[in-house]
Amino acid sequence: VFAVIASAGLDGVYRCATGRPASQRTAHELEPDRFAVLDDADVQRRFIDASGSEETVATFTLPALHCASCVWLLERLYRVDAGIVRSEVDLLRRTIRVAYSPARTTLRRVAEALASVGYDPLVDPERSAGGVPRARRRLYLKIGVAGFAFGNVMLFSIPRYANGAPLEPQFQRLFDALNLALAVPVLVFSASDYFRTACRALRARTMLLDVPVALGLAALFGRSVADILSGRGEGFLDSFAGLVFFLLIGRLFQQKAFEGMAFDRTVRSFLPLTVGIEAGGAIQRTPLDEVRPGDVLVLRPGEVVPADSVLRDAAATLDYAFVSGESAPRALRAGEEAPAGGRIVGQAVRLQVIRPVSHSRLAELWTRPVFARTKPHWITTVSSRFAWHFTVGAIGLALAGAVLWWPDAAMSLQVATAVLIVACPCALTLAAPVALGTAMGQLGRFGCYLKQPDVVLDLARVSTVAFDKTGTLTLGGGDSVVRHDLPPEHWDAVRRLAAESVHPISRAIAASAPVVAGAVSDVHEQTGLGITGFVNGERVVLGRSSFVGRETGRVLPDRDDHTWAAVGPDAPRPIVVRPAERRRMASAISDLRRRYRICLLSGDAPRDARRWSRLFGGQVRFRLSPDTKLDAVRARQAGGERVLMVGDGLNDAGALAAAEVGFAVSDDTACLVPACDGVIRGDRLPALAGVLSYARLARRVITIAFAVSVAYNAIGIALALAGRLTPLATAILMPVSSLTVIGLSAGLMRFGARRVAS
Amino acid sequence: VSVIVLLIAAGGFVAGGFLIAFLWAVGSGQYDDTTTPPVRMLLDDAERPQPTRHSKDDA
Repeated sequence: VFAVIASAGLDGVYRCATGRPASQRTAHELEPDRFAVLDDADVQRRFIDASGSEETVATFTLPALHCASCVWLLERLYRVDAGIVRSEVDLLRRTIRVAYSPARTTLRRVAEALASVGYDPLVDPERSAGGVPRARRRLYLKIGVAGFAFGNVMLFSIPRYANGAPLEPQFQRLFDALNLALAVPVLVFSASDYFRTACRALRARTMLLDVPVALGLAALFGRSVADILSGRGEGFLDSFAGLVFFLLIGRLFQQKAFEGMAFDRTVRSFLPLTVGIEAGGAIQRTPLDEVRPGDVLVLRPGEVVPADSVLRDAAATLDYAFVSGESAPRALRAGEEAPAGGRIVGQAVRLQVIRPVSHSRLAELWTRPVFARTKPHWITTVSSRFAWHFTVGAIGLALAGAVLWWPDAAMSLQVATAVLIVACPCALTLAAPVALGTAMGQLGRFGCYLKQPDVVLDLARVSTVAFDKTGTLTLGGGDSVVRHDLPPEHWDAVRRLAAESVHPISRAIAASAPVVAGAVSDVHEQTGLGITGFVNGERVVLGRSSFVGRETGRVLPDRDDHTWAAVGPDAPRPIVVRPAERRRMASAISDLRRRYRICLLSGDAPRDARRWSRLFGGQVRFRLSPDTKLDAVRARQAGGERVLMVGDGLNDAGALAAAEVGFAVSDDTACLVPACDGVIRGDRLPALAGVLSYARLARRVITIAFAVSVAYNAIGIALALAGRLTPLATAILMPVSSLTVIGLSAGLMRFGARRVAS
Repeated sequence: VSVIVLLIAAGGFVAGGFLIAFLWAVGSGQYDDTTTPPVRMLLDDAERPQPTRHSKDDA
């Protein structure tokens, strides 16, 4: 990677890069024809926005995109491939638009150029051509129209308010006509969503807060038109335009929070796009869709088994950590079944497919009904119940007002409409979106990405935090050497021998320091037991206590985290190897314990069981399958607990989906997230307690904002019932209440975020 | 007094001009990405920031 960057004169990136690892081996180097699928015209169409003979524009999603130096580097992509004309990055959505000359380069070469500088483009077969989100543009247009109308209607209404009495008839008529002309586009264009959702909700016989809002808006507009046409007054059109304007601002908060959250992907993005199939002695790269049962796949180390298959070679080692959570790889013999989802370790293997890709057990795990999320968010339940009460209450009060003034028919109609106008829960509809939208945006900045703003309130109500172990509390990367007491030159020899093996413990030992050169000969490995060989002429034995004991003729104690090594004639010494733990996790867990019940649900064998048990106060369970994890979560829910499940992905996907809130932990942003409610960056996991307290803050802020807006509504309704709700009173009350609620929610949530970050 | 009508017409003309300008700006995509440009403008445009003395620009 460095070579490509330096040769293109882009080494300035290292000057501004802070968080980026300086060098990483890209998958591109491991898999030279990974992007071959981009030569396919059908696939190309999914990436290309506009094509021409001079210039073709394509959009890629780059999960690794995250900082200013990424922008600097990627917008100078033309230096890596001369066929690239220009490139433009969108930091928030993690996309890059590349314009290239089709005569001088190809889409595949563009993707390879991206990969060569360390940004692997997401080559997801199910993506659709990425356009600019139209919804957001529309929202801006609606806000623009509503704001324009609001300002001008207010301008035309002020003379009337300032005068205190009707203006000269010719002016009043002119102003009324202008106001009407301005208000109609607001009703038809800007406010259209509210009426549409309200209609849809009523037709489906459900209740949303949009129903009373639409009712209030209709009352406002209808009453104003009636007043103007009958010459009774100037109407409430300024309040109407202002109300729509503020409501749309609330929507903008909500929509902003959603951006850059496109992390939801399917099982397909975990599998490779193409696999090598053995056909007549040669290996042919074939799109995954065309793999049929009976085909013989040739998979290289690091590749994932895409379909349930049977091993054709004599032996193979597969890593199923992602599926089962078990970190030790599984050794398979010829004829044994290799289910989909395993990663090949060691050397290339040949597998015969026995079930179509879409029918593998892995795919079934994903398509199981638990993942079709039906659990409602707490706020949806609450607000729909609330909307019922509100609508019934508003209509009831309007009727009461009408009855109160009954003998006077005109007055009673006026009071009734005035109640409907002022009872519009505009401030209420603003409180939750603004507070939750701000919270979601701030959490995203912090490294905790939610799928929906509503998740914040579910988080606030959690009572139990359940953790997965592998990949969550421990690092997914594998084991690391904790301690050993071998002399340095012996340690070098052991590491040199360990480099010959693919077992995770050997790999951990070899990787604990750069392996020194040394002549290795006569290596014998017994899979799962140990390895022997000669390093620089000295015999080295490395492995389990039983293996090393047998090889050296001694009896060694058996401890589950001890690996033994003997060099030359010396007595064997233990090497302690443990899964690498995330830093500061222990203190984070004791933080959580102060407020929440916590438990550990691991799919792994009980290594280090005592330590974990102490940390979790005895609430630990090992060797759980994905199904029993799900059951464990369900059992807690049956006991009245609300569970936050924190896991790494697939093997606890069921538990993530079933829990009130499921968080997937990810160390790179390009992670795979089946059915979770949010993704939290691995290095931010220790701050989970802070995230939860921020969620509780959001709940308090919404309660405060609700209280404030209910107070405004009460004042308005009192005025309306007394028959004193003048247009001027509304014109003051409505914007003031909307602005307090927006300011309060957004301000408090931003202020609170500063405390979480520190 | 009819000068007021003239003023209103003039005011409406100016305001309408700004509204159209805003609608055009949204339509042409200027509001599509509000995160990257502020970052981009802080980056140096220099073709090669601070090259070492004896290396020549190979771009």
